[in-house]
Amino acid sequence: MLKRSLAQRSWSTARFGSLLAAPPEIRLFSVLNRPPPNYEGHVPLTTIERGALAVGSALGSLLNPRRHDLIAALGEATATPYFIYRLRNAMLASPTGRRILRDRPRITSQTLSMPYLRTLPPNTVGRTYAAWLDREGVSPDTRDQVRYIDNEECAYVMQRYRECHDFSHALTGLPVFIEGEIALKGFEYANTLLPMTGLSLTAVLRLKKAERERFFSTYLPWALANGFKAKEVINVYWEEQLETDVDDLRAELGVEKPPDLRDTRKMLREKRKAEKAAKEAKDRIGGLKDA
Amino acid sequence: MLSRFQIRLPSRKLFSRHTFYRVQRTYATQTPELYDVVCVGGGPAGLSLVTALRALSATSKLKIALVEGQDLCRNRLENVPNTEYSNRCSSLTPASLHFLKEIGAWNYINASRIQPYHSMEVWDGVSDSRISFDWASVGMPAAKTPGEDSNIIAYMTENTNLTTALLKRLEEVGGISIMDNTRVSNIELGQDTDTLDLRSWPILTLSNGRSIAARLLIGSDGAQSPVRNFAGIESRGWDYNRHGLVATLRLAAPSSSINPQTQLRTAYQRFLPTGPIALLPLPGPYATLVWSTLPSHATHLKSLSPPDFLASVNAAFRLSPVDIAYLHSIPSGQTSELAWRLQHTRVDAARVPPEVEGVQEGSVASFPLRMRHAATYVGERVALVGDAAHTVHPLAGQGLNQGQGDVAALVGVIERAVREGADIGAGMALEAYDAERWAQNNMLMGVVDKLHKLYSVESGPVVGLRSLGLSAVDKMGWLKGFLMQSAAGVR
Repeated sequence: MLKRSLAQRSWSTARFGSLLAAPPEIRLFSVLNRPPPNYEGHVPLTTIERGALAVGSALGSLLNPRRHDLIAALGEATATPYFIYRLRNAMLASPTGRRILRDRPRITSQTLSMPYLRTLPPNTVGRTYAAWLDREGVSPDTRDQVRYIDNEECAYVMQRYRECHDFSHALTGLPVFIEGEIALKGFEYANTLLPMTGLSLTAVLRLKKAERERFFSTYLPWALANGFKAKEVINVYWEEQLETDVDDLRAELGVEKPPDLRDTRKMLREKRKAEKAAKEAKDRIGGLKDA
Repeated sequence: MLSRFQIRLPSRKLFSRHTFYRVQRTYATQTPELYDVVCVGGGPAGLSLVTALRALSATSKLKIALVEGQDLCRNRLENVPNTEYSNRCSSLTPASLHFLKEIGAWNYINASRIQPYHSMEVWDGVSDSRISFDWASVGMPAAKTPGEDSNIIAYMTENTNLTTALLKRLEEVGGISIMDNTRVSNIELGQDTDTLDLRSWPILTLSNGRSIAARLLIGSDGAQSPVRNFAGIESRGWDYNRHGLVATLRLAAPSSSINPQTQLRTAYQRFLPTGPIALLPLPGPYATLVWSTLPSHATHLKSLSPPDFLASVNAAFRLSPVDIAYLHSIPSGQTSELAWRLQHTRVDAARVPPEVEGVQEGSVASFPLRMRHAATYVGERVALVGDAAHTVHPLAGQGLNQGQGDVAALVGVIERAVREGADIGAGMALEAYDAERWAQNNMLMGVVDKLHKLYSVESGPVVGLRSLGLSAVDKMGWLKGFLMQSAAGVR
């Protein structure tokens, strides 16, 4: 074992002491020395903290996919260093995206009036959105605030992505239960490249066998093909598109509507019920015959 | 015995870099005037060549002619106020300066229109890695002559300032037949008569009807050089698909972080994916812009209103490549876009140039960028200097300095030939000039070309590698000093 000389030891102790005594601005970022927040609600994290948050929220949301706060935290922890900047640059490259970044619109139940949306003509974006919300039984509630992204502008981009998630549901017609959510996450991964959306695809482990087969044969190919070839959905100024025809918007973005999942499942359920009833009836008649 | 219309093959492997050239045979009807040196082209290279030949005692007895197609007096720098500067400026290295002082031309330069600069900030537009050049940080002085500030990297000079100084020195030494406003109609080899054997001498037929013969014909006539075509020397290279946009700009008052007392000036260059943008200082609050960019972008920039053009220039030094690309796509509104994006972009004010607030009217212009290198610099009684020999990308500010280096080498070779009593046009005498300059210029042009290609990449691992390399060079003082000395021409 190397014995450090007395002089060396006192030099390293003195250096550590001087580091602690330095003003907070030039000290290294650590749990004892957090920099001031860049926006309201901002929580700066060290790299280790961010890694731990990513791992923890990934496991937690896999075990309980209803934990939307963990999914949100996973998204923020994995978005830096590259992916959220790429998304922000995609917005900066488009004139509409730039307007969104300038205006900073927020989607809440106050800013979007549901009664007004229900009065819009059918097949408009706004009416489809309202109809989808009613069908799924959800409301445009306020989403979780972004907290763990350091750059203020990128924090808004993440918030905007989160708030427009329901509009993506309306655009594609995918329902809110797990099968539809995973398909939509696949689409969003191909479109935005955010790691959280890709990581969410591991939730296929929670699907039943029939759902999994349907996912891999139909919905995943649809999601990846359409997500890559479509224009950036983050650049859609939804507040201005409420009265446009939804099929026109789909054509402009290059998105095809996938087979309606609710209808498919309902049809399959009814078919199974009919088959089961027929089988039972046959058994009963067969039984009577024997008797 | 050689027949009249034979294609002459090279007899020495010294000429092996070009394949062969055809000997043209026509017949002159009168005896042309004989000159020792005929220099075609009155640009900085040609003027400093003939000035140097007259200034040196050994070569001052040569009979010299200078042929220039334009009026030499037209571009003279006379009575221009020091609030206006030409948009064609060059950065003179200490080596070029030394040469100009040796030939006595530097005394006539208008010193109030020269701006020496002491440091250079160069950085990558994509990754923000940077390198700072200044002599103090590498511990090496540049100046070899005493009494000169050893901190200076280079001197920003208008091209007209330089040519006017050379013309004034030429008027002082005299003894040269200056034929300006005269074009060269034809160059051909002479014939063998009873009195003279001019079969290897180039005979120039001028637009004023005169006919002159040259013991040594020097082509300093620019990129399209007719002298090079006459000699059959191939010029190889490629176009960069870029335009160099130049302008004379006025800077805003420097920020308080820059010390006005030290009078130290800095040149700035940022490498964008479309090409580097450079802001080089001129006296007072002025600066010259050289922005190498796509031809479509150059056209667009020239069409902008002055405030939008200035906003684009300020943006190009501060904003991200995404924003700069967007600004190139809108017909107006760059000013408001810049004001908005500056709120969301982190800019270190001490490391970017001061904001530009004015553009000199009529100074915004552009020219295509190409790389060309002549296969050889010498032929039988022919030598090439300056742009006739090579054209280079302006990103390292080397074009005019390479020309001055060529002139210094060629004058040295001619002087040696005269001292030894040799025929100054003979291949054996001229080969030393080619040997001295061709490989060196080729290497410099190669490096500049690779830098251009390296910094044209917008994303991917190349960006990371080049940033790492740049930061590494920035920290290695000996390597940085070596590069600075090579660029300054003192090594």
